Amino acid sequence: MTANIPGAPQKRGLSKKTIKENLIAYSFIAPNFIGFAVFTLVPLGFSLVLSLLEWDGANPMNFIGFGNFEHMFKDRQFWRALLNTFVYTAGVVPATLVSALALAILLNQKVRGRNFFRTVAFFPYVASLVAVAAVWNFIFSPSKGPVNNILHALTGLDFKALPKWGASKDWAMFTVIFFSVWKNMGYYMVIYLAGLQGVNPELYEAAELDGANGWQKFRNVTVPQLVPTTFFVLMMLIISSFKVYDIFINLFAGGDNQLTDYTRVLVYQIYNTAFRSLSYGYASAMAMVLFLIVLGITLIQFRGEKKFGE
Amino acid sequence: MKKLLSILIAATMLVCLFAACTTPAPAVTSSAPAAVSETPVSEAEPEPEPEPEPETIDLKWALWDIDLTVYYQPLIDAYVAAHPNVTIEMVDLGSADYMVLLSTQLSGGADFDVLAIKDIPGYVNLVRQNHLEPLNDYIASAGIDTSLYGGTVEQIAIDDQVYELPFRSDFWLVYYNKALFDAAGVEYPSNDMTIAQYDELARKMTSGEGDAKVYGDHFHTWRSTVSLFAILDGKNTIVDGTYDFLAPTYEWVLAEQNDGICQDYATLKTSSTHYSGVFFNNQTAMLNMGTWFIATQIAKIKEGESKSTEWGVVKYPHPEGVPAGTTLGTITGLSVNANSTKKEAALDFLKFATGPEGAAVVASTGTIPAIMSDEVVASIASVDGFPADDASKEALKVTKAYLEMPLHEKSADIETILNEGHDNIMTGNMTIEEGIADMNTRVGELLGN
Repeated sequence: MTANIPGAPQKRGLSKKTIKENLIAYSFIAPNFIGFAVFTLVPLGFSLVLSLLEWDGANPMNFIGFGNFEHMFKDRQFWRALLNTFVYTAGVVPATLVSALALAILLNQKVRGRNFFRTVAFFPYVASLVAVAAVWNFIFSPSKGPVNNILHALTGLDFKALPKWGASKDWAMFTVIFFSVWKNMGYYMVIYLAGLQGVNPELYEAAELDGANGWQKFRNVTVPQLVPTTFFVLMMLIISSFKVYDIFINLFAGGDNQLTDYTRVLVYQIYNTAFRSLSYGYASAMAMVLFLIVLGITLIQFRGEKKFGE
Repeated sequence: MKKLLSILIAATMLVCLFAACTTPAPAVTSSAPAAVSETPVSEAEPEPEPEPEPETIDLKWALWDIDLTVYYQPLIDAYVAAHPNVTIEMVDLGSADYMVLLSTQLSGGADFDVLAIKDIPGYVNLVRQNHLEPLNDYIASAGIDTSLYGGTVEQIAIDDQVYELPFRSDFWLVYYNKALFDAAGVEYPSNDMTIAQYDELARKMTSGEGDAKVYGDHFHTWRSTVSLFAILDGKNTIVDGTYDFLAPTYEWVLAEQNDGICQDYATLKTSSTHYSGVFFNNQTAMLNMGTWFIATQIAKIKEGESKSTEWGVVKYPHPEGVPAGTTLGTITGLSVNANSTKKEAALDFLKFATGPEGAAVVASTGTIPAIMSDEVVASIASVDGFPADDASKEALKVTKAYLEMPLHEKSADIETILNEGHDNIMTGNMTIEEGIADMNTRVGELLGN
């Protein structure tokens, strides 16, 4: 991920050559950094300032200190959105991780049509979200969808007694987690496949000589060897789960582009507060909370990378 | 380049912040628009030319759904025919979240001149943000007679200042499928139906199973299709803050849903079913919907998409003791961007489109204009494809129309809460009592703040 920057200063007194090399190096970094500064750093700083203000986007700003954060503590909708985001993360992260690993191990075997199946597993990740969400909504449609029709045929239960999936407070989270795992596991499978290529085959040979069976080899060779990969996947999954928005909107929002208590996530709440309620300050305060969460996870990742990165 | 500009603006705002932070943000006031000229946004723009070149004026009109809307082009054609030096470019921002998008674009300095205004909550937000040109002076100087609009202009004034003029004024009707009624041997709905009679008729008209099932009526997933029956008696409004009066209406519709008289809300919502398809494919005997559907239905019959070729309209069902012709109304207006550099030309187009000439053009497409007269009603009823029966013509006469969302400073937030409550009740995630209690609490908190 991180590139080695040539010409990093070693001594105090910089020679002309070093300065020149440094400038060249900076000039290479500049395009990226300028982009980062313009599109990320400045907006982030602006958002930080906004979180202390009351602002509707047009009228003069009003400094209210930590008023937005105080309001946040009492705001039931915010807590609900935060809770939903945590529930979603708690469901999606382990499920995606395990499915991606299982898929990667299966498709790492020398089986016929391996590349075909790898493509099949990767396809949901590249497929258009809007299109596949529409298909899933149809599949899980409470009375017309195949899922409930099969359940109806198998159990004989009336449609009213069957789960309403995406439309039900009890099943909506399950539906979206299931969808998200299916959609994204292919991507993490590819990362795991890359990780598996890095496992030294001699370790398996040694384990075999010691009489290890398949499970023992997996448990004592594959898993420890994949720790750095797993760590990376874990962090990426957690961060993307906290930032989730698109999947919820496409699965649940319907015509009025609105989510309810059971499906409202943090990013949606931020969007709604900023652009529908025109409370840019309060929305920025919520965005700061999200930022701190993601920042915390990223810091853990940086530490872990040092530990596992070898 | 634009990004750079916005950075500069952001930086300027940061500086301005310290100057402005002690001034409280004003509520919606008529004097607020004056502040616009002081914001850095307009400073960054070139000075408006004193007199626009008389030869060519290019106006930009922000609107939604060009392909689905039949009257934009005729309005432009009619105006340009009389003003050959003007061109009008339409910018389609899409219908989902149109008002949010418009507000964001205007905050970013978009160079629209004329703005189509889709709903009241979005209109209030734009006024709060000082994006709309106040129209009182223009109305006075151009001699616009606001009484022609049947009282709607007064309903959209904010602190006595008007920021939009309506060019469409839709109201709600019942569309029915004559072929299905004939097949069932049931008499057509009448122009004077109570809600109870409507329910009775819907139950009579429900038949069949599976794909062949015909539902008695159809409630689209919008909150307005269900809960607004409750405001027709004029005793409550949707911005009051207490919603116990909605209970009987929800009980009625949930009972229909439970008995399979109308389609299940959860299914409709998850499958994003559009109401038009349900009516086109003979799946429902009746549909309560706004007059905007007239033009669509006529056009889709001609294109062969609508298989419900024998149809009619009648007046909206009303509560007991309320006169027939009481219905819901919604207005679509035009505004001028307060930062437009071609205000004069934009205002002139606005005057044309919202005035009697524009009304005639709009009516000729089967759409209800904001200015209603006997000629306009006759003109719509004579549109090729409009049902020929007398009852359908009579249905176009409105006794009283309640705005779907009355003007309120917090209408956008109220609407969000009520829509969520509607969703919770209709999906069964909350009982009617829980859903209404939730609305009462949350809107109460909002209005108390």
